[in-house]
Amino acid sequence: MIDIFLSKFGIAKLAYFNIGNRYYTASEKLLALNKEIDKKPELIGTFLGEIKDGKFSPSLPLLSIIAKDTNEKVIIKEIGENDFLYGKNLRPRHILKIEGTMKEGFLKIVVNEKNECLGMAKLKKITGNEASFRNIIDLGDYLRRERK
Amino acid sequence: MNNQFTQRYEELGWEFVEVHNKHCIRVNNLKTNARELIKRLEAKGMSIKKVPFLENGYYVRSKYSLGATPEYLLGLYGSQEVASQLPVKVLKPEGLVLDACAAPGGKTAQIAEKADAVIALESQSSRIPSLVNNLERLGVSNALVYQSDARSFEAKLKFRKILVDAPCSGNFVTDKGWFEKQSLSNFNSRQKLQKEILANVLTLLEEKGELVYSTCSLEPEENEMVLQWAIEKLGLKVVPIDCIGANGLTDVFGNKLDSQIKNAKRIWPDLVGTQGFFIAKMVRK
Repeated sequence: MIDIFLSKFGIAKLAYFNIGNRYYTASEKLLALNKEIDKKPELIGTFLGEIKDGKFSPSLPLLSIIAKDTNEKVIIKEIGENDFLYGKNLRPRHILKIEGTMKEGFLKIVVNEKNECLGMAKLKKITGNEASFRNIIDLGDYLRRERK
Repeated sequence: MNNQFTQRYEELGWEFVEVHNKHCIRVNNLKTNARELIKRLEAKGMSIKKVPFLENGYYVRSKYSLGATPEYLLGLYGSQEVASQLPVKVLKPEGLVLDACAAPGGKTAQIAEKADAVIALESQSSRIPSLVNNLERLGVSNALVYQSDARSFEAKLKFRKILVDAPCSGNFVTDKGWFEKQSLSNFNSRQKLQKEILANVLTLLEEKGELVYSTCSLEPEENEMVLQWAIEKLGLKVVPIDCIGANGLTDVFGNKLDSQIKNAKRIWPDLVGTQGFFIAKMVRK
């Protein structure tokens, strides 16, 4: 399921493994260390995402990994950065540039002008030369999780 | 302020003063460097000043919450109080490191910058999400996290360095209701837990390994008296460290303690405007 998700961004290969429904990538050293401890880890290396309700839900670190190699991106202006990190959708005024496939329903990695990954959004509507996106996940999630 | 605790501090040689700890961040070198980060934060109107005795610590004055900026969410820095950056500095992480009481993970991430790998333990399930969350945000990829009590953790491994940032009664700087909540019996029950942690993790330390013990408590029952026990019962020795602070106490309410305990450092809050802290490095005799 993670492979299908990666393919949406043109990523052919990423070394990963799963523990139950959770996916990770980790060095050989960490994997060897884990064998010396007779317990299930809460985290090993980098958490990539998990299967939730039959769907793959990516982690924010996975999106950062993808952002380095994909051209399926939307680059947003500084004024859009705070709005997006507050969980808001992206409007045309937030957007600097859209790269990759222009088709409604497509997922895009959201980056700022420094190419830093801020999250992921779905292309909701194209009107002429403008587009809007639905926020799927953003870095503000780190704070929202803590408040739960 | 005058109560049984402030009177005890006076007996130990420190006159109580109210202290407001200064906001401090730790630059996360896994994702950025100080020059880049300072430039970004100053452009947002923040005032940044290097903490002279820390490698990556900076005092910050800001109208924004330091725990909610885009740079924080990007993991470019962690909000980490000055004194709490000191134990890892003293530890000098290298090789395989055990962080025995890890949540919320600021020190674990600090260790991860220098160590080959870090194994982080947290006994309370409710604190695991914040630990994992922090490591994820800060881009740590060389950590293993287990929900485990450091008093009973077992592994077929030996560690070169171990950090025991022990559960403690805390201090009045970061907890405004601290004086009302505490009792002397709390310190003794914490001491029991702290000794049990030390006794178990010592079995995981390499023969020539180093163990750093720290608390954010100012109470000698949780600090010097734990070291005295470790010297007598665990065969450890307290070695000199390069760290700010007053020497560890060797006369605690009339009890004479081993002279090597002066090698520990006691950070009274008014020294640099921080919470109280206690740090010691121990090795086998």
